[in-house]
Amino acid sequence: MGVAASSGRDVLRRAVRGQRRDVALGSLLGAGHQAGEALVPVLIGVVIDQAVAKGEVSALLLWLAVLAAVYVGLSFSFRFGARAGERAAEQAAHVLRVELVRRVLHPGGGAENGRLPGALTTIATEDAKRVGAVNLAVMFGISAIVGLLVGAVVLLWISLTLGLIVLLGTPVLLWLGHLLSKPLERRSEAEQERAAHASGVAADLVAGLRVLKGIGAEEAAVDRYRRTSRGSLVATLRAARAEALQNGMVLALTGCFIAVVALVGGRLAVQGDISLGQLVSAVGLALFLLGPLEVFAWVNADLAQGRASAARIAGVLATPPAVTIGGGRLPQPVRGEVRLRGVSHDGLHEIDLDVAPGELLGVAATDPADAAALLRCLSRQADPESGVVELDGVSLRELDPADLRLAVLVAEHDADLFEGTLWGNVGAAAPESADPEPAMVAAGADEIVRAMPRGGDTAVSGRGHSLSGGQRQRVALARALAADRAVLVVHDPTTAVDGVTEARIAPGIREIRRGRTTILVTTSPALLAVADRVVLLDGGRITDTAPHADLVRRHAAYRTAVLA
Amino acid sequence: MTRGSGTEKAETTTTTEDPQMPDPAGADTPDTARDREADAAQNQEADAIRGRETNAARDQEMGTARSRETGAARDRETDAAQAPEGARELLPVATPARTRAVVRRLLRPHRGLLLGGFVVMVGATTVGLLTQPLLGYMVDLVTEHRPVDALTLPAVFLVLVAVAQGITTALGLSLISQLGETVLAHLRERFVERALGLPLEQLEKAGSGDLTARITGDVSLVAGAVRSALPELVRSVLAIVLTLGALAVLDWRFMLAALLAVPIQAHTARWYVRRAASIYAEQRIATGAQQQQLLDTIGGASTVRAFRLEEGHTELVTRRSWSAVELTMRGVRLMLRFYSRLHLGEYIGLAAVLVVGFLLVRSGSTSIGTATAAALYFHSLFTPINSALVLIDDAQSAGASLARLVGVADQPVAEETAATVAAEQPRGSVVPPAGAVTVAGLGHAYEPGRPVLHDIDLTLRPGERVALVGASGAGKTTLAKLIAGIHRPTTGSVRLSVADPHGSGRTVALVTQEVHVFAGPLADDLRLARPDATDDDLCEALTQVDALTWAEALPDGLGTVVGEGGHRLTPTQAQQLALARLILADPPIAVLDEATAEAGSTGARLLEKATDRAIEGRTALIVAHRLTQAATADRIVVMDDGRIVESGGHGELCAAGGPYAALWEAWSDTRSTAPH
Repeated sequence: MGVAASSGRDVLRRAVRGQRRDVALGSLLGAGHQAGEALVPVLIGVVIDQAVAKGEVSALLLWLAVLAAVYVGLSFSFRFGARAGERAAEQAAHVLRVELVRRVLHPGGGAENGRLPGALTTIATEDAKRVGAVNLAVMFGISAIVGLLVGAVVLLWISLTLGLIVLLGTPVLLWLGHLLSKPLERRSEAEQERAAHASGVAADLVAGLRVLKGIGAEEAAVDRYRRTSRGSLVATLRAARAEALQNGMVLALTGCFIAVVALVGGRLAVQGDISLGQLVSAVGLALFLLGPLEVFAWVNADLAQGRASAARIAGVLATPPAVTIGGGRLPQPVRGEVRLRGVSHDGLHEIDLDVAPGELLGVAATDPADAAALLRCLSRQADPESGVVELDGVSLRELDPADLRLAVLVAEHDADLFEGTLWGNVGAAAPESADPEPAMVAAGADEIVRAMPRGGDTAVSGRGHSLSGGQRQRVALARALAADRAVLVVHDPTTAVDGVTEARIAPGIREIRRGRTTILVTTSPALLAVADRVVLLDGGRITDTAPHADLVRRHAAYRTAVLA
Repeated sequence: MTRGSGTEKAETTTTTEDPQMPDPAGADTPDTARDREADAAQNQEADAIRGRETNAARDQEMGTARSRETGAARDRETDAAQAPEGARELLPVATPARTRAVVRRLLRPHRGLLLGGFVVMVGATTVGLLTQPLLGYMVDLVTEHRPVDALTLPAVFLVLVAVAQGITTALGLSLISQLGETVLAHLRERFVERALGLPLEQLEKAGSGDLTARITGDVSLVAGAVRSALPELVRSVLAIVLTLGALAVLDWRFMLAALLAVPIQAHTARWYVRRAASIYAEQRIATGAQQQQLLDTIGGASTVRAFRLEEGHTELVTRRSWSAVELTMRGVRLMLRFYSRLHLGEYIGLAAVLVVGFLLVRSGSTSIGTATAAALYFHSLFTPINSALVLIDDAQSAGASLARLVGVADQPVAEETAATVAAEQPRGSVVPPAGAVTVAGLGHAYEPGRPVLHDIDLTLRPGERVALVGASGAGKTTLAKLIAGIHRPTTGSVRLSVADPHGSGRTVALVTQEVHVFAGPLADDLRLARPDATDDDLCEALTQVDALTWAEALPDGLGTVVGEGGHRLTPTQAQQLALARLILADPPIAVLDEATAEAGSTGARLLEKATDRAIEGRTALIVAHRLTQAATADRIVVMDDGRIVESGGHGELCAAGGPYAALWEAWSDTRSTAPH
């Protein structure tokens, strides 16, 4: 998939172009609808003029039939036009959503750096929706222009004077309304911020409810919320009064405008320049034209929002991948020899390390940040600032990270579980038809299955939050073991697991990984004790390498890091 | 503090009850889950505000629906797997009658405002209705070929009407908003008050997603309705009723003609409401499932990549997104059919009014101007009728949200929870000394028939430090929660004795591995534990937990905004804050449940020291994750399979060669050469 740079403008253009058929259809039908709506007041005038004033039944029937035809037309075009527009909006949003997810999941990574998952999710839902809605805005904008044109033509045809008054007056009227609403918009923004703040405070207190209850701080919390809520109420009332005032002024202005149109039109009618029906039509049209002009106002607002959202989406899509996609291939089968030469990265200094195929290596870092940096290099979430990491003699830079991850699995400490069942999670990356049982046993997850009423078919909720921390960790470890990769790097897999279970897991890992390269990055002595040898990472450098027991004996820094 | 040596003494006894909590973990509950859920909800919240109003309303609904209804969505997706929380007991929802009663009660103090707003709005609408007859009068003047200047007077009246209508409308709308907003503020405050007072037991059954959804989604849905839908609805309904009246004033036959549209509109509205409810409910579920899937996939992106699950997850997102699109389109199609039918109603009414005008003018019983006014009246009814009918929809969802808010706000003030101190004065002579904890015959089952604790007897002397150890699932956390009063025991009792039952603060505090940093200045976070704490108190507490150095190094020191949307603290720092809060709350009894577990080993050692100082002078029960922490306790209680199997000092138990000795050996074996 393309990670080509794209600007917000591109994103918008693609969103509209991708739905051009629906947008075109929607605009055409929408225009029909607007024209129909414009004709209704005109026809009321015609009926008054031709039928009511003259008392002719045939004219009445004729014009009522015409009115019916107009209604059928406007109703039909609105129904199918709006449907096409909405479809365009929804489909464009869907396409963007999927594109965003593809970018986030791209093996090169990088898109989620510096963005919280919640924020990215919001971009994929709200921003995608707003960009999609631009299709609807374009459609309604085009329709409104047509409605405006029809109204203008009819008005000018009735009378040049009256037409000009209405055509020039309506924009002035709307401009005045807009002017009045400016300060209101600012106020209402402030008000919404206050309201959002109040709601945020409430949600935050609820989120920390257990903590509040734990220390008996409910009353203090309620007091705090009440103060926030009152502050928000004051701001809201100020904004509401301003809005009411604006509503009243717009009503008064519109009424005055209608009075002017009626007065001028009436004078023209008395002088015989226009007919009675034309006077009625003109008054009706003056009222109608406010509609399409208001549509412009919100179309504008929607386009502005769409542009801002498109820029955010483009920002994600255009994030360069964190690592390059190499074209090299790994010799098959993968033996699992890992070699680091002069690797410096984020606090790591000139790391040289050889891991033999099939070795079980422990890595104990005195600074968790060093461990994290090492993991990033091994999983190719980042390439080292200098130096090279090799697998079976091939530099990782030359590989496609997606291919690399079929050979090397870096199971992170905070790996997420996904919605599904226990079995489904454990077997997510396992070879087809593999039995998950041995991995479950090795990870100490078998007893979770036994404890659950539905065993391995027990549902796991999103991100594994229906399980306790220790259970989650064991299921995640089982998943990593079941994936059965040539090289497995495990990071702190037992921090939330009790000592007894941990003592059972350590030999389990050793047993199930026998013959394949395994790196345990941890400070847990139980795990380090089963490693063939342990590398001590202190101050960003490898300061010693030896079996656990030897390191414990000869290294104070190691004792501090590993033993409490 | 001198709690240990007070004169008055009291104790609390927890009674037994039978909660039916399906706890998937058996003993441990997934605590940190809620934080992220709340994160997402807030995010959505903040973002929806950016959106257009209608969008915002829809999104809020989505937020509301998400946590409550993903369960149902999941059942459809993976029918084999039933979520353990499928049996959740959601928080109460008020009945329509109850909701109305509560709203009436909230309105009562504002009766004047209610009446005033209504009268002014009726006045405003009535004045506005003079427009059409004035226009009709001008038409008559034209028909009668009066002199041009005769038109000036009605035009001036039109201007006066417009101005009067503007002023009264502004006044009326502002009165109505004032009423709505004030009542809403009271409701939400009461909601938060009651919500925070709910027993945790009930909240755990409901899942805190339910509460979060109500406080964010439902509150803003109702607020949106109060802000825009309520004034609009009042205006529309008044316009419709009074316009029909005005038509009747012109000639009663005009009104009859206009009423011809009513059966069609009423039928359409009923038809729509019946279908819309189920479609929108499904749509909310689908949007919620989509949102959940996105959070799942995006939040777990690095895991997805590491395990090469990209294709599967893209597929899942595509499927859920598409099903949301399809359901939205179903809703759109229904809405558009609804409008089509309204168009039919419009035409029939308009044609009928025109025909009546035609007949009346021909029979000479009315003027052309009056017929024009009638037609214009009916034409001006389109907008209010359509908006009133569309608002039915908003009103429905706002009503549902309101019922959910009232459901909680209407709860009786929470009874004293298990561990708060009853004001009962024991007359007996044998009163346990202050700070003591006496557990007798305690048993607990989250689900009937699946007991997790059996017949626990345990006494903590004042100031004693007791460590609780055992494998996962042994029942440690459950016992800790029962002592902290979070759950009520199924059998047996927990007695806490304190010096001053009427004193401020609570008897027992619980600190768990769940860390939550409250959004806002750091000092405010700490003051939740003791609102009247001075800056010196805060610094003192932070010093105790070794946190003052980093706290003062923050950009604005103790005034730095932390938590959601502010400066992010590390898990260790957050846990230090929790301990500082414990010091400030200053309870005689403290229960710590693996309070050092999430920090990694370096942080754990730091926190262990801080913990020691935080529980100085208190009776403490520590659920220990690291045996070294247990080894330094006054007494160690070993649990296995819901029972206490051993109790005694470290040396004593090691020598006894029982379960603790085995645990210690397993632990210290791996740390064999540790210089103890």
